[in-house]
Amino acid sequence: MSIKDEFTKGLWQTIPPFRLVLGLCPTLATTTSGLNGMGMGLATTFVLVFSNLFVSLLRRFIPSQVRIASFIVIIASFVVIVELVMQAYFYPLFKILGIFIPLIVVNCIILGRAEAFASKQGPVASLADGLGIGLGFTISLFVLGCLRELLGSGTLLDIPVMWSGFEPFAFMLKPPGAFVALGILLAAMNLISQVQARKGGGR
Amino acid sequence: MRDIIKMIIVLTIIGAVSGLALSLVYEGTKAPIEYQTIKFVKEPAVKKVLTGYDNDPIADRQKMIIGEDERGKPIELIIFPAKKAGATFAVALEGKGKGFGGLIGVMVGVSKEGTLLDIGITSHSETPGIGARVSETSFTDRFKGLATNKEIKVDGISGATYSSKGVMAAITQALGYVTTFSKEIF
Repeated sequence: MSIKDEFTKGLWQTIPPFRLVLGLCPTLATTTSGLNGMGMGLATTFVLVFSNLFVSLLRRFIPSQVRIASFIVIIASFVVIVELVMQAYFYPLFKILGIFIPLIVVNCIILGRAEAFASKQGPVASLADGLGIGLGFTISLFVLGCLRELLGSGTLLDIPVMWSGFEPFAFMLKPPGAFVALGILLAAMNLISQVQARKGGGR
Repeated sequence: MRDIIKMIIVLTIIGAVSGLALSLVYEGTKAPIEYQTIKFVKEPAVKKVLTGYDNDPIADRQKMIIGEDERGKPIELIIFPAKKAGATFAVALEGKGKGFGGLIGVMVGVSKEGTLLDIGITSHSETPGIGARVSETSFTDRFKGLATNKEIKVDGISGATYSSKGVMAAITQALGYVTTFSKEIF
């Protein structure tokens, strides 16, 4: 696979959380608005890109018996960096995301990519993979956040967009609403895939 | 045996390098984090209790050492001065008093002449609907204009005696600091 393929596969074919269905905990918890989802996605992307890069660079030195421990130390370090930087420069977002920033450490997408991809591939391919998957995750969270924000509070990126008599579905901002929104998006994606497959005779 | 030694060495190096990197980031973000925390947590209260200033009380904050905690670390008191044409005419500072559900933090604005300007509750864990009513302006307004050289006493909220007393204790503590540090502040 070329570098470009490694990058683009994260945007549709293996887009988390829809296709990999990994990292659902932050996906469901932080997508109460489009901006929150995007913030969480970007924080995860940063960790994913750098942990992929370093795991790939160090893959020859890390003995396989202690690889998971080493990966976790690398990942955790970048998570703390994100946490400190966010607290220093994006305090309101830091307050909203709260506990879900430290919890990026245990996000299975990140450890999954380190274990399944970066520990076997070169640094450039790993960087492309991390960037692609991270961007896919960010887009997913952003779209999911926008959908929930639109239905749950009648705004889009904090700007009211619905007609004046619109009664917001407060339910959409609660955790069950996240499942419903996720299901709607998954169904829509499957529909698109099916139409594509029928047109192109399968991929 | 060689494997074990290699594992130990690799893990140690990774841990040490991560630790070093994190301590550098921590040092670098310490000042902005402190500013942000004060700005978002204390600024609303400071803005409520001080008026008519032309400086940035958050940027001009002063730190006083008011004692040591049980580990021997100094306890800091942050004072926010309100200045007009470079002269401090009032300060805001936080005091703490024991309420019903723990400590109540109260931001207190005091003028140079010794008048209580206004108070704002910064943190509390009082019962919602009962003790938590101390943070409503109908209660905090009762302290406006009191003289600071007399005992701070107003009518408490009925049913929330402990909480009301906690607020008064917090104000008394803050005013005590003002008396102690009056030379440095004004």
